[in-house]
Amino acid sequence: MENSQDPNFKELYTIPSHSRWFSWDDIHEVERYSLKEFFDASSITRTPKIYKEYRDFIISKYREDPNRRLTFSEVRKALVGDVSLIHKVFVFLESWNLINFNAVEREDDDDYVGGEDKWNVRVEEGAPYGVKVVANPNSLKPVLPPPVSVSGGGNGGIVSPLASFKDRYGELVKKKLVCGNCKGNCDLGCYEYIKDRNYVICLECFKSENYGENKSAGDFKFIDCTLSNGNLESAWSEAETLLLLDSVLKYGDDWEVVAQHVQTKTKLDCISKLIQLPFGELMFGAGNSKPRLWDTSDSVSSVKQVNLDSSESPEISKTVKAPISDVSNENEQDENAEDVATPQKRLCTVRVSDASNSLMKQVSGLSMMVGPHITSSASEAAVAALCYENLCPREIFEVNDDGSHKSGLSQNERQRASPAKDSDMEGRYESDIQDTSSTNAIPVALRMRAATATALGAAAARAKLLADQEDRVLEHQVATIVEMQVKKLQRKMRSIEDLELIMENEHVRKQELADSLLSKRVNVLKKIFSAGISRWGDCAPVTTHAPAVP
Amino acid sequence: MKSHSAWSGSKNPVKFRMPTGENLVPIRLDIEIDGQRFRDAFTWNPSDPDSEVVVFAKRTARDLKLPPAFVTQIAQSIQSQLGDFRSYEGQDMYTGEKIVPIKVDLRVNNTLIKDQFFWDLNNFESDPEEFARTFCKDLGIDDPEVGPAIAFAIREQLYEIAIQNVSSARESRISKKGRRGFEHSLPSKAGGTGLDLMKLYGFRSSVVRKRKEWDVYEPIVDKLSNEEVSALEAKEERNAQ
Repeated sequence: MENSQDPNFKELYTIPSHSRWFSWDDIHEVERYSLKEFFDASSITRTPKIYKEYRDFIISKYREDPNRRLTFSEVRKALVGDVSLIHKVFVFLESWNLINFNAVEREDDDDYVGGEDKWNVRVEEGAPYGVKVVANPNSLKPVLPPPVSVSGGGNGGIVSPLASFKDRYGELVKKKLVCGNCKGNCDLGCYEYIKDRNYVICLECFKSENYGENKSAGDFKFIDCTLSNGNLESAWSEAETLLLLDSVLKYGDDWEVVAQHVQTKTKLDCISKLIQLPFGELMFGAGNSKPRLWDTSDSVSSVKQVNLDSSESPEISKTVKAPISDVSNENEQDENAEDVATPQKRLCTVRVSDASNSLMKQVSGLSMMVGPHITSSASEAAVAALCYENLCPREIFEVNDDGSHKSGLSQNERQRASPAKDSDMEGRYESDIQDTSSTNAIPVALRMRAATATALGAAAARAKLLADQEDRVLEHQVATIVEMQVKKLQRKMRSIEDLELIMENEHVRKQELADSLLSKRVNVLKKIFSAGISRWGDCAPVTTHAPAVP
Repeated sequence: MKSHSAWSGSKNPVKFRMPTGENLVPIRLDIEIDGQRFRDAFTWNPSDPDSEVVVFAKRTARDLKLPPAFVTQIAQSIQSQLGDFRSYEGQDMYTGEKIVPIKVDLRVNNTLIKDQFFWDLNNFESDPEEFARTFCKDLGIDDPEVGPAIAFAIREQLYEIAIQNVSSARESRISKKGRRGFEHSLPSKAGGTGLDLMKLYGFRSSVVRKRKEWDVYEPIVDKLSNEEVSALEAKEERNAQ
């Protein structure tokens, strides 16, 4: 085991957060309070040292195997002392989850059956024998348990607790529906027998009235297999998605071709998958609508350029917004409006999403709100803006643009000439495809990658801006703090100076007091002298006079 | 002072009672009439009125379909044991610092139990029944008769020791009157059932036992087959006679 070899190896044991007071080296208040007997010095058999030994031993023993539930009987054999007391410690540790935290749970003491028996649980469904479930206490009408409907998919519907894998996921498994009658495949549609959901007959059999024994027309329900089958094909692998995107970019709206390209999925699947993709709508326009908006009139494009230049900051959301409103405005005024139609007018009231959301979210939100044509043109515009700074993407994108310019122009000329008719659309479509495919010098993948890189770069730049701002705010805060500290210190200095002044005054007064005392003393001494009382130091001169006095 | 604590630490004498949370008397019955043997062991609450004894005896005989002669014998036995208990009740007992070893060695139906552990006589809230419950739960014993049997065995031994303490208190009082300077430490080691506390709890020693001693204090539970049970029973009969 690596544990013993690595001296730095430390085991991690989980204990709940309410037990974080525990520490090996210490005895906490909680312990002192809960197990008072050890701490009131009432007996030589109950001391803190003994408590600590009990506790450490029990916890260590548990941690030898944290997955196994430690029982009291295991520890008490190794500990000297009153078993009731040791039991109390054990229960205390267990209630704080310092032991048996990860261990297998056991039933309550009251329910304890014992041995292996308690693991043999019998689950019974419905009411036990001899008991009838009725709606009201006095009625006799039995209430049947709700029919357990096993639904397709993971979590939907009521699933009985004893459902097997097949029950739950059986419907997801692609099962070929076989007609109960003629044993042929029911791919397009089938008729399901109401009373027995497993019995189906195919369309032909239903038509020819071969229902099977004892069944009549009314007993069958029509089920469209294509729809239900369609739902089964919900798993899209990455390769398939890439293929899908690829083919959509190449073939645009031609779903038959796209489906052929993505061999494993049907037409409907492709469409639905594409709609689900966050930028799927972009793809719709990728093939053909790009050229329409781009060069309708010089004024429009120049306005766009101006806007883009001014907002070169990575606020792509704003750039997205600007062209939209501009374009929509232009289109309102311009009577030669392309058939990028009425939805545009509503877009004047585009709401800017919360600026705190991430950039990508904003972009995706906006792209979902607006029509696909707008988004594609907007992305074009953004790319163009960034192209002005970097040469590389320009190379990638510009080649294509020229090509689409041409086709776009031709397209729009035809548009202005006559209102779009389906046949015209078709015609245009074909030529468009050919045009764009011929000018697709750069592979689709590279363009996509370049676009993603641009977006990510923009996001990164914005992040840096935010970081810088954070730094500045931080500096400002630190400066404020420093200032406050300095002010504090200054106040302190001032108060100390005041104190000093007071001390000085005191000192002066004390001096004066001392002086006055001194002078008083001097006066007293003078009086003493004048009164003739000698000081013991002055005896000599006085006594010499004494004999002279008779 | 220490009202919250179940333990009384001082050497002051306490009125006699079972040193457990519930003051229950262990009663053992072993009656033989006309070749029919009735054995039982249970706990009795001494504060129950005496009339209950006869009622209990009658009910037992009826439930176990014993001949009526048993009723009086049962009642008598219970009453005499209760009387013994009550005779100690008024007196003092010294508990001192007493941790006593309790040994459990019994057979209940098919289960054989052997165990050894310590019990604090000063713990007046101790609960043998709780100990027995934990015991059965930890060792996965599903025979419901084992728990009460263990609790009873513990109570019996505690009772014995409590009686000894009372007797020793009586002894020391008598000898005190006769002699001065009688040592008070005697009660704490009366009958030699107390542990040498200093050795066990002193500074140098640890309350954690050495591993080789773990087996001694480990509970041993054996499940016997029916043949073994009958063999054992036969042996017991022979020993009794």
